[in-house]
Amino acid sequence: MKPAPFEYAAPRSLDEALGLLGEDAKPLAGGQSLVPLLNFRLARPELLVDINGLSELARLRRDDGALRIGALTRQSALGRSELVAAEWPLLTQAVRFVGHPQIRNRGTVGGSVAHADPAAELPVALAALDARFVAQSPRGRRMLRAEELFLGPLTTALEPDELLVEIEVPPVPEGAGSAFVEHARTAGDFAIAGAAALVSGSGHAAIALLGARPTPVRAPDAERALVDGAEPREAAALAASSVEGGHRRALVAELVRRAIEEAVP
Amino acid sequence: MGRPLTRREDARILNGRSEFLDDLHPPRLAHLAFVRSLYAHARVLSVSPPESASGLLAVLTASDLEGRTRPLPIQAPEGAEVADEPHPLLAGGEVRYVGQPVAAVVAESRALAEDAAELVEVEYEELDPVADPRASDLELLRWRRASGDVEDAFRSAATVAGGRYAMPRLVAAPMEARGALASHDAAGDLLTIWCSAQDTHRPLRHLGHVLGWPPERLRVVVPDVGGAFGSKGSLAPEAAVAAIAAIDVGRPVKWTEDRAENFVAAYQGRGMEADVELALAADGQMLAVRARILADLGAYLLPATAMPPHTAAMLMAGCYTMPAADVRVSGVRTHKVPTGPYRGAGRPEAAYFLERAVDDAARALAIDPVELRRRNLIADFPHRSPLGFTYDSGDYRRCLDLALELRGPSPSEGEERLVGTGLAMYVERAGGSFEEARATLEPDGRVVIHSSTSPHGQGHDTTFAQIAAERLHLDPADVVLEFGDSALVPAGTGTFGSRSVAVGGSAVARAVDELGKRCLQAAARLLDAPESEIAWCEGGLTAGDGRTLALLDVAAAGPLEATARFESDLVFGSGAYAATVEIERATCRLTVWRLAAVDDAGTIVNPLLAEGQVLGGVVQGLGESLAEEATYDDQAQPTSASFADYSLLTAAEIPPIRAAFVESPSPLNPLGAKGIGEGGAIGTPAAVANAVSDALGGRHVDPPFTEEKLWRAMHE
Amino acid sequence: MRITVEVNGERYEREVEPRTLLSDFIRHDLDLTGTKVGCEHGVCGACTVQLDGEPVRSCLMLAAQAGGRSVRTIEGLAEDGEHPLQRAFHERHALQCGFCTAGFLMSLEPFVREKREPSEPEIREALAGNLCRCTGYRGMVEAVGQAARELGRG
Repeated sequence: MKPAPFEYAAPRSLDEALGLLGEDAKPLAGGQSLVPLLNFRLARPELLVDINGLSELARLRRDDGALRIGALTRQSALGRSELVAAEWPLLTQAVRFVGHPQIRNRGTVGGSVAHADPAAELPVALAALDARFVAQSPRGRRMLRAEELFLGPLTTALEPDELLVEIEVPPVPEGAGSAFVEHARTAGDFAIAGAAALVSGSGHAAIALLGARPTPVRAPDAERALVDGAEPREAAALAASSVEGGHRRALVAELVRRAIEEAVP
Repeated sequence: MGRPLTRREDARILNGRSEFLDDLHPPRLAHLAFVRSLYAHARVLSVSPPESASGLLAVLTASDLEGRTRPLPIQAPEGAEVADEPHPLLAGGEVRYVGQPVAAVVAESRALAEDAAELVEVEYEELDPVADPRASDLELLRWRRASGDVEDAFRSAATVAGGRYAMPRLVAAPMEARGALASHDAAGDLLTIWCSAQDTHRPLRHLGHVLGWPPERLRVVVPDVGGAFGSKGSLAPEAAVAAIAAIDVGRPVKWTEDRAENFVAAYQGRGMEADVELALAADGQMLAVRARILADLGAYLLPATAMPPHTAAMLMAGCYTMPAADVRVSGVRTHKVPTGPYRGAGRPEAAYFLERAVDDAARALAIDPVELRRRNLIADFPHRSPLGFTYDSGDYRRCLDLALELRGPSPSEGEERLVGTGLAMYVERAGGSFEEARATLEPDGRVVIHSSTSPHGQGHDTTFAQIAAERLHLDPADVVLEFGDSALVPAGTGTFGSRSVAVGGSAVARAVDELGKRCLQAAARLLDAPESEIAWCEGGLTAGDGRTLALLDVAAAGPLEATARFESDLVFGSGAYAATVEIERATCRLTVWRLAAVDDAGTIVNPLLAEGQVLGGVVQGLGESLAEEATYDDQAQPTSASFADYSLLTAAEIPPIRAAFVESPSPLNPLGAKGIGEGGAIGTPAAVANAVSDALGGRHVDPPFTEEKLWRAMHE
Repeated sequence: MRITVEVNGERYEREVEPRTLLSDFIRHDLDLTGTKVGCEHGVCGACTVQLDGEPVRSCLMLAAQAGGRSVRTIEGLAEDGEHPLQRAFHERHALQCGFCTAGFLMSLEPFVREKREPSEPEIREALAGNLCRCTGYRGMVEAVGQAARELGRG
């Protein structure tokens, strides 16, 4: 399975990269999702824009209380970050489920988000954290919320000449606990279903679902119920209530329940 | 013999010096890619190659092969009627499965061949495909055997129990896909083909048949092979096309099958369903078995497509003293890739069909399933089954007892989970036909053995060296094994069906024994002593008066060689597998808590390697129980055609496995061996299936035991 | 396009197409065929090599992306062919056909270097990124434990 021919560019600056991107010119970051598509000839861009040289997009830091994840941050770097483990542990918990170390050594956080696979973990964890997604194009910079960014399976609001450059994650409420649980056929396989939970004793609850819909979704009814004192089982049933299929609904409910119980500090 | 020696084969592999098919790169190599059908059933109206394309050397279609080739031959099992529906090399007027090769493109690189393949225009007229075997319009295989008074048994039975049991199609999925590299020496009129294959013999025979050439014009070489599990037994149609391409283009041509091709175009395993009825007396004695096996054979009969259903049918009396049996096989055409042998090749199906019926019968009779089996196990050997096999030896009771002992206690059931235990006995046919070996004493005192078998991971090199070394009082390091080149190795049948130690190893033993005799005769001459006074000792031969000769000295007096052919009837391995499973109520996740695997493969030559075969087979069996299924939609389009959809188990999914051997030597060969390559894959699915049914209170679910299926079984 | 890559300590300069995969570059352009190709979609792990010391799937990288980087393949695993992992794999019968072996070794090398006394679940998780169809993994589990302990003793 060899890719169809394409031209290749490795721009040195973000502006140069944006000038090259378009309908038939796709960005190549970690390649863990794109290269299989190239090999199967399911993706056939005329030009591949290798953005791995844009080191300014790989910074991972705290700035003014918020976590700023450069889109090019490797998933393994996210997993090793002490800063993230200390203050945004939900991300550390979620990234452990992304494929295997060999995938995470190349795969990027931005790539996972921009590819928007319904089975992806990081979009779900970021949705639970109320993350904001920063995109840049020749027309300027804009910031999107998760529900604005993720439109459908493998579909985001990013324009062909627009690049996800950074993900901004607000600070997590004081004393909040978190958990990420997932259910897959085999270790490291694509997730069938999963849940991210962020719960604090002081009135904050965030629950995001993987596998309930083609995009990451929050469960506002369940979140409200939890804050109002509902048991994890009740809240989980609420979260799963709109999931189709007896088994899938039961599975999501079970995973949400476990996530809540693990998260509660 | 009997020692767990580590393998000499390992060093090359561990240091990156292995040589698999795609590692071969002769000068001027050209590459082959195929245009494959996108439709499951269609008429091919026209095939138009491009005028030109970068690096393109040739395009072959069915019309280029007309008059020069025949389709692959069909092997008909004994007593079976088979249709004349062989697999064409390249599709002529019709395509009958998604992925069927339509045209072959030869180019300077694989990438360029794939580019050019996209430019070949094929005009199709879509026809209706048949995906469900029960809706098939054509029977490709028919077989029936009945013996004993079956009617009477069912009439007089206290209980008739059974059901419909199905095993879906599977993909063999060796880590190395198939491939062939063909090179034609026009001057010498010799076609050499390197094949990622299970042996040299079948590719040689098949290629000779396809081309209409005698064996002298062909040479088959088998390099390192990255697993096969039955899927590399027959010559692939694509390999035959590579041979033609090499002849036409005048350059070596290599076809390296990629994973996408392997998923759709390599023949698949299993794909059988059976309606089984057991007639039993009130005390649980089995009176008769009736079975109708329906096999989803796919679009054509490849050489061995008809074999697994026949094997399954022949084993339907299992380990039990079953006086009467009536078994029918119907293999039907569907518009899918053909099926063929895959690890077990009919034996796992037989074990599954029969052992599920035995458990269902136990439930109907309210007799403990273990006890029901005990009451019916064959204890006297040789035993003639009503279906025609003669089982040579066995100790089924011991296997059963040991399996239960190894399985141990179960976890307690509770609110959170269901627990079930299950057992399965199996008997399998192995060995048979013939193999040859040639043993030569080299001038440097080493013994070189050319064996007709061909290893692809099983460790024949080390194992046969052990056999030879013991018989000649040598260190295994002084024994060299050669395999895999039809120009050098003697004739044989092939490496499949767990036959290599029993038959190939026995040929080695005989050849070595004969060589040993000649060494002794030579020593007698050299020592000027009567043969009766010469004896073997460590590293050589000794005369009665204490004079000794090293083998090196014997070799110096002149080369010695001996060839032996070993042929025998089938030998019958057996085993008992016991599983404990848990089903988590909330998610319906199935976990195999423990698996006990007891196999009787007769004499074990190398327990380390034998256990490796069992563990490998068990994990494949677990894969087909937990996750694997080659799925098709109702238009016969494959829907699990990559590792993203078809999940193989990783190390993280493997439960504790306790394996043990019972050794009932076979009287049919000098080693007493029976073969171990497939036992793990035979016993595991049946044992797990019975455990799952037990956990579900007797409800039946077919593998793979996905959560969706278990959910439905528990809630509907 | 012209790229320069360091592989197993040696510098190579070669002309490649943009679409040339790193796996094919290593195997066919550099003649280092110890690395195998099993699926070309990043699941089986047979193609695993180390990029600047980190295990990656070479079938999911373009050769062009390795320009200026350092790659290590199975041929460069041990100077004398006697890495504790290689020895342990042999002693514990952790390979049969051997096609997956190089990928496993390149994936496991950092793990046994970093972990002194890994638990069985940790070992199984470390193995889960590569597929083997022959062995059933038990020999590998034992081999990894043995190699980690040996390296841990220094």
